[in-house]
Amino acid sequence: MAITRRQFITRTGLAAAGTLIGPGLFRNPLLREAFAQLMQDRYLIVLFLDGGNDGLNTVTPQAGPLRSDYEDARNSIQLLPGELIVPVKAFTDTHSGTQLGFHPGLGGTNGGIAALYDANMVAVIQGCGYPEYNLSHDLSRSIWQTGSPLTTVGTGWMGRYLLNNGYAPTDIPACTIGDSVAPELRQTATSVLAFDNLQDFGFPYDYAYDNDTTFKDAVFNALHRLPNGAAANANSTMQYIGNTGGSTLDATNSYPPLHRKYVQDRPTWNAKYSSGGTPPGLNTSTARDFREIAKVIYGVASGVANVNARFFELRNGGYDTHSDQGGADSQGQHYNLHREVGDAVKLFFDDLTDMAAHAGSQTGLQNLHKKVVVMVWSEFARRITQNDSGTDHGSQGPMFVIGGGVNGGVYGTHANIAQSALDDDGNTPYSQAPGFRSTDFRDVYGTIIKHWLGMADPSILLPTDPIISSSYWNTANFDMGFV
Amino acid sequence: MSADTPLVLSDARHLLRRAGFEATVAAAQKLVDDNPTRGDAADQLLSFTPSKFKPGGRYVEDIANKWVRYMVKTKLQLQERLVLFWHDHFATSFQKVGDVGQMAVQNRLIRLNCRGSFKDFVKAINKDPAMMEFLDTVHNHKGDPNENYGRELQELFTLGVKDPMGNPNYEQDDVKQIARAFTGWDYDRTGTAFLDTSSHDKGDSVEHWNPARGPKVIYKTRGGFGNPSGQDFSAGTNYAQEVDNVIDIIFRHRYLDATNTLRNTVGDYIAKKLITYFAQPDPSQSYVTAVVDESGFGSSFDLTALLKSIFVHDDFYLTAVPPGAGTHKSVKWPVDYVVSSLRLLQIRLKGKDQSLLGGEGDPQGGDDVSIRDLLENMGQVLFEPPSVFGWDWETAWLSSATLLARYAFARDIAGARGGGRTSFRPERLFDLTESDPGTIVDAVTELLGVKDQLTNSNRDDLITYLTDAGAMPTIDLSDTDTLYRKLNGLVAVVLQSPVYQLQ
Repeated sequence: MAITRRQFITRTGLAAAGTLIGPGLFRNPLLREAFAQLMQDRYLIVLFLDGGNDGLNTVTPQAGPLRSDYEDARNSIQLLPGELIVPVKAFTDTHSGTQLGFHPGLGGTNGGIAALYDANMVAVIQGCGYPEYNLSHDLSRSIWQTGSPLTTVGTGWMGRYLLNNGYAPTDIPACTIGDSVAPELRQTATSVLAFDNLQDFGFPYDYAYDNDTTFKDAVFNALHRLPNGAAANANSTMQYIGNTGGSTLDATNSYPPLHRKYVQDRPTWNAKYSSGGTPPGLNTSTARDFREIAKVIYGVASGVANVNARFFELRNGGYDTHSDQGGADSQGQHYNLHREVGDAVKLFFDDLTDMAAHAGSQTGLQNLHKKVVVMVWSEFARRITQNDSGTDHGSQGPMFVIGGGVNGGVYGTHANIAQSALDDDGNTPYSQAPGFRSTDFRDVYGTIIKHWLGMADPSILLPTDPIISSSYWNTANFDMGFV
Repeated sequence: MSADTPLVLSDARHLLRRAGFEATVAAAQKLVDDNPTRGDAADQLLSFTPSKFKPGGRYVEDIANKWVRYMVKTKLQLQERLVLFWHDHFATSFQKVGDVGQMAVQNRLIRLNCRGSFKDFVKAINKDPAMMEFLDTVHNHKGDPNENYGRELQELFTLGVKDPMGNPNYEQDDVKQIARAFTGWDYDRTGTAFLDTSSHDKGDSVEHWNPARGPKVIYKTRGGFGNPSGQDFSAGTNYAQEVDNVIDIIFRHRYLDATNTLRNTVGDYIAKKLITYFAQPDPSQSYVTAVVDESGFGSSFDLTALLKSIFVHDDFYLTAVPPGAGTHKSVKWPVDYVVSSLRLLQIRLKGKDQSLLGGEGDPQGGDDVSIRDLLENMGQVLFEPPSVFGWDWETAWLSSATLLARYAFARDIAGARGGGRTSFRPERLFDLTESDPGTIVDAVTELLGVKDQLTNSNRDDLITYLTDAGAMPTIDLSDTDTLYRKLNGLVAVVLQSPVYQLQ
């Protein structure tokens, strides 16, 4: 991925040491390594909380000005001050001076996201949304995935990044964990792999000829010719099937070794994600999905041939809690979801940190936990005021950006949730007086694209509109402190 | 319009592909012999009396397996195509409903309504226990209204978010108002819906955080009704009538088209979706309006009339051509892929779990995998659609994960060699004395319905496979090993080929 020298200076904090920057720069071996690590050797994971996560019961006013408004809005699902997790590290909405707390589920069974926050690895960005918010799951999800609130576009926001970086049709720069390619990654230039688990990701040959390489080659070659023909067809659906088929066949050779390598090299960690081991592993779908990503990143970072995925998508569903949401009840719906995510994210970063600790001379593995960022989003948050036992669709909510390269803390501003500040539909509006607007999700994407992926002008990928013409990604202290 | 257009064999085969699962040459020939015109053929296909079939079983896996078995066996192929469509349209998931019996009852409700009055269908869905659980009608009370059903009823079931001109069909206030009509509805132990009026919003007491909402009206600013005070759905003290009144109003919702003519919104929305399912992705608006106008669907809401108009229109037959520049092709749904393949190859599912012979293990034994689980790998778990939107269609069906699942299914059915009705028996389908590779390729691709969709180069690729790139110029299918390697292998490769993934 191309970068400018100016970015390099900004990101490494070397601007002041101007004398270092000059013709001699790339002759300094230490700086050469820094260059590789900081600009090219990075990974981005997006985790989608599908269904509309209740942001107000995720990062919750624990004490201070917004607490009484929260208590007005939430009764049976209210989280009590003592039930919330208050991190050691400052966790305050500075605009209102409200002390915040994490939903108890986010502490997981292993410390969860709350522990990562105390390790300075979590940026909590409050009040994320977009103008003219839409309450349809489908449309709002699509708005976030395409990165375009006001106009319809056919590509995903990460897809456009891939398009701009010159990948070939059968390259596999990205993977989705699951059955279908994530809309964020959608584009027409290159291939995105989708799989549930790499262990089963092999080509299915007739069992009777399992050891007959001549037969296998004949089948494989016949099938490879057909997608090649389809890829050349003028019909776009056939092109898609051809490219997907061709890259899938290639990946049946190149990807299963990543599974075998991980299981062989990291048996203890492998068990922590699943049901085996002592104590028993997490064995949730989110944990298992993160393990698949860990396998790929471990392989890529270890230099395994023919794999180069850097972008990943995974999701956890069930957030459409119109009823029986549950508050701090540890068997409740929302609690279970948060615990599953908190546990899995924490374990994943522990795994990466351990890989880094045993990197030895393998530069790809060194500092691996600082090279991976997980961005957590949901298509909307939920209504400020609860209904009978749950919450209806709402507007803005918090996002998380998590990683060892993140300068943790609270970013953005908590929406004013006083009943008098809500719009006619009971939601927090995008613009709230005085002089306050929500954090646009494009601010977060733009910050990641610019400061994590090193692309000078994110607005190439993120069409702006009059409302966000002054983007936060151009604001010095809103870069989430990527290091 | 072409109801009187003579029915030719190629069109008959296309119609059967889209309206059923088993478009053999023989079936197409019979359709032509029985029906002089496209209109006659459509009438014949649509003349079925809906079956009362209800998949039975204790677990959701059971009813999913039983439904697939029914699709593989039934003569009412169009009926099952429609039930599948409506299952996606009124997407309801066992994951939330949690009651197998209710899911099965909804499946029968859909079957009984699949080609009747769409308006009656929606009124029935309003009171279907599985739907009432899934979209929270049972959790919708005065003072604590739940908007879930009020929104999806409009967005997904009847109107769509925006009309064909891109204007919103409704506003948030309409969602809230419709939610009021549904407050207090529940169902009894026999599954019959009833209104608990004590829990119904009669316009009286409300909680402090839900201020009074005024008159019970919708579409003050939308719906093309020209009445700024909106459409009143109240019914005096006959509160149970309100939900039917809401449906009656929704079915009168109109939008202004490009020629400034008011058109029924439900009619065009449903017609477009059915065309997208049966005929082609991204249909032209002129195809949509033509079939709605010809069938009168915009006022009668008669699904049979609408389907006939779709099936006789010239645009329906445009997609019969092989894929190429300017053609619109649809991707087979996983259920279509599985059911069509089983029917064309005359393979029955086996045992209580409706599994394939061989399944995951090997032909000599091993674990059998149920058809429901095989479909799960392909991205379509019946009775468990991924969300209220149902499944994502077209290329979203296909990814490396789901393609590999289709490849595995193809391997399994082509390799099912046990000898009985649950196995692949090539001797019943092909002339095994044939030795010419080109003729064998033609026979296999013709049976599987893709011969006319292949390019010459595709055909050469398949011949290359049979002949080991010319090393084996004739094929001796009487030799068991050659039969397995070459004929079974060829069947698998064709089922795995790009063009077979298309409808």
